Amino acid sequence: MVKLQKVLDGGRIAAAGLKDFAAGLVNPTLRLGVTGLSRSGKTVFIIALVHALAKGARLPLFEAKGRITRAYLEPQPDDDLPRFSYEDHLARLTANERAWPESTKRISQLRLTLEYEPRGIFARNFQSGKLHVDIVDYPGEWLLDLPLMQMTYLQWSAETIAASHKEPRATIAEAWSKHLASLNAGAPANELDAVKAAELFTAYLAACRKDEVSLSSLPPGRFLMPGDMAGSPLLTFAPLNMSPGQDYPKGTMGELMERRYNSYVNKVVRPFFFGHFARLDRQIVLVDMLSALNAGTAAVQDLKTALTQVMACFRLGANSIISDLFGRKIDRILFAATKADLLHQTSHDRLENILRMIVDDASTRAEFSGAKIEVAALAAIRATREAKVHQKGEDLPCIAGVPQAGEVLGNITFDGIREAAIFPGDLPPTAAQALDGTLQGQLKFVRFRPPPMKDKEFPHIRLDRTLDFLLGDRFS
Amino acid sequence: MTDSYRKPTAFVLDDEEKNKPKPRAKPSIEFEIENSKGELVALPDIPIGARRKFRWGFILVSALGALVSLWAGFAITTLVEDFFARSRMLGWLTLGVAALAALAALAIIFREIWGLLRLKRIEYIQLLSTRAINLDEKTASDETIASLQSLYANRHDTKWGMTSFNDHGNDIMDPRDRVKLFDRLVLKSLDEESHRIIARRSRRVTLLTTVTPAAALDILFVAAQNLRMLRELAELYGGRPSTLSTLKLARMVVSHLAVTGGLALSDNLIQHVVGKGVLGRLSARFGEGAVNGIMTSRIGLAARDVCRPIPQPDSKKESLGSLLRELVRFGETPPTP
Repeated sequence: MVKLQKVLDGGRIAAAGLKDFAAGLVNPTLRLGVTGLSRSGKTVFIIALVHALAKGARLPLFEAKGRITRAYLEPQPDDDLPRFSYEDHLARLTANERAWPESTKRISQLRLTLEYEPRGIFARNFQSGKLHVDIVDYPGEWLLDLPLMQMTYLQWSAETIAASHKEPRATIAEAWSKHLASLNAGAPANELDAVKAAELFTAYLAACRKDEVSLSSLPPGRFLMPGDMAGSPLLTFAPLNMSPGQDYPKGTMGELMERRYNSYVNKVVRPFFFGHFARLDRQIVLVDMLSALNAGTAAVQDLKTALTQVMACFRLGANSIISDLFGRKIDRILFAATKADLLHQTSHDRLENILRMIVDDASTRAEFSGAKIEVAALAAIRATREAKVHQKGEDLPCIAGVPQAGEVLGNITFDGIREAAIFPGDLPPTAAQALDGTLQGQLKFVRFRPPPMKDKEFPHIRLDRTLDFLLGDRFS
Repeated sequence: MTDSYRKPTAFVLDDEEKNKPKPRAKPSIEFEIENSKGELVALPDIPIGARRKFRWGFILVSALGALVSLWAGFAITTLVEDFFARSRMLGWLTLGVAALAALAALAIIFREIWGLLRLKRIEYIQLLSTRAINLDEKTASDETIASLQSLYANRHDTKWGMTSFNDHGNDIMDPRDRVKLFDRLVLKSLDEESHRIIARRSRRVTLLTTVTPAAALDILFVAAQNLRMLRELAELYGGRPSTLSTLKLARMVVSHLAVTGGLALSDNLIQHVVGKGVLGRLSARFGEGAVNGIMTSRIGLAARDVCRPIPQPDSKKESLGSLLRELVRFGETPPTP
């Protein structure tokens, strides 16, 4: 069964790859996968990317920029997807009460077309000198679903239940665990029990996401962000204590849950994956390291687990003639620690080191398969400036900006109007210390309001290097 | 940073305090002024010569030099004295001329020393920038940029690049990227000029070799042209070419060529075809000229490696091929790259 599924999936990728190849002959297209868990800054990154290219912003390290003559948004290629509302997001960012985009609730797509001056006689005369960059924006929670494609209901149940017994999840999961203990997988199916279990399970997942714990590995994603599926029977399932090897006949609770899980994977997860992630050319993985560091060791460990599982789903590796025809692979991946503007630049190296450790498995696999990888501390829109505070004969490297209303540091609560210089604490000199608990309570990253535009551009940190790595070679 | 972690802290700026003139209440906050692993590089290979501890030849030359200067000093002094004995006027005149000569000699010595020091400094910058690029070191990068900025401070051909580089002075970027940005914005225009220099000298060598009547003469021409090319290249990248530093540079270039295998097999093949093949058949002299031109191009490229303050990764180095194409097209107006 699993093997058949694999063959089918392979066929699906090959067919779509062939179609892409044919389309790419006329209009060269680059599918940029902006991946990241929820609140990692995908939407902001997309806005900043489009804005910087369309407005010709200062991008000193993006070498190809000199050859780009025009950049503009075009109607997106897939008619069944809504358009990424770039203008609305931008208006919100630049309005008087500047605010970050709200969390993404549904999938949307955008096509950025770059016209450039090709190099070489052949390219100048026979190529269009146009590159379409297709980007999909989606709720980051949904990304957590991808590992489910490789798991049966039995495996998933066992893993989820085992994880919920460990702190800090155990206390949060109390209500759900109690209900779970009252259920018997072999008993006749009861819709009300199933609904109740799903509700409690969803509440548990939602609680795990709060700032104080900030956990990441919380599948299934649609439970947290149902999109247009709110209330659908596809979402009324939850893990059960199943004994492996035992057969659950039709009509039992176990069979009902397993069936729903399988239809969730087949009707929700697979179409999402094959529609948007199976044929990426380049990938940027945005990781919100700072929220995890804020919450502590458990959150960092959980982030590592989630990223490793998600990254295992992508097709990485150098491209060959065959992969050009039948489904290209991702040949460049950039792991970016976002919101680097919440730290002084002297700490960026340490942040990158911690990120390297977090994505170690994924990047080893990528490197082994021949894909190029890079790690960067990134701020697509830089909300702060840097400052030095002299205190008690010591210079504290700080960042200054307007913290968001309601953010707390020590005994100061910010009102969202006054400017403040923040010293967020020292990052550990070795990355492993982020996991061993020595940092507990030593760090506090405060969220800032979006910056005002400067010369009609957003300030940024290393957005230029990111673009150069992801797109630069396509303009030669 | 110390072993103990520093606690997170916040300093709220009140609006009144922001408008207050200095001095500010403690703790004072100082804002940064706001204005508007990649490829590795290698230092040019120059073998370090074994330092001989004691050389009789050196002593002989120094002793003879000292004798000659003593004799010259004595001769000049007696000359001046003689003239004073004859007439006061003539005496003063001779003394003035002698003083002028001494001044010129001093100036030359200073220029030579300055040239040698400059050569050393560029070597040091090469070392620094290699460190900055390969190890991504902030201190090395800052020092590289500062030295290069003072090196190119008062030149009009780098002004535009320097200005656009300074525009990005406050952007946050990695040390490696900053050096590479300087390379791209400032040194790239110099690279184009150096390409023109090498191409021009190579063409001239080819032409001179072809039209020189005597075989012995063209050796002299080629050597002279090459030395002038070295001077031009050194000056372009910020050196102060003087006699001694040009000779030292020439030695460095030759040893760089020897180490990097400047006489690569593929190039030999080109020489064979060009020198003894089609061109050689047409005219033996012209074939020789082409070979000399190729050699000059190669020396020029090696000299550029030695003079360029930021070493380039191999992939970005210009190949001999693009120069050769220009060499064969000579007579046309030189194309601007």
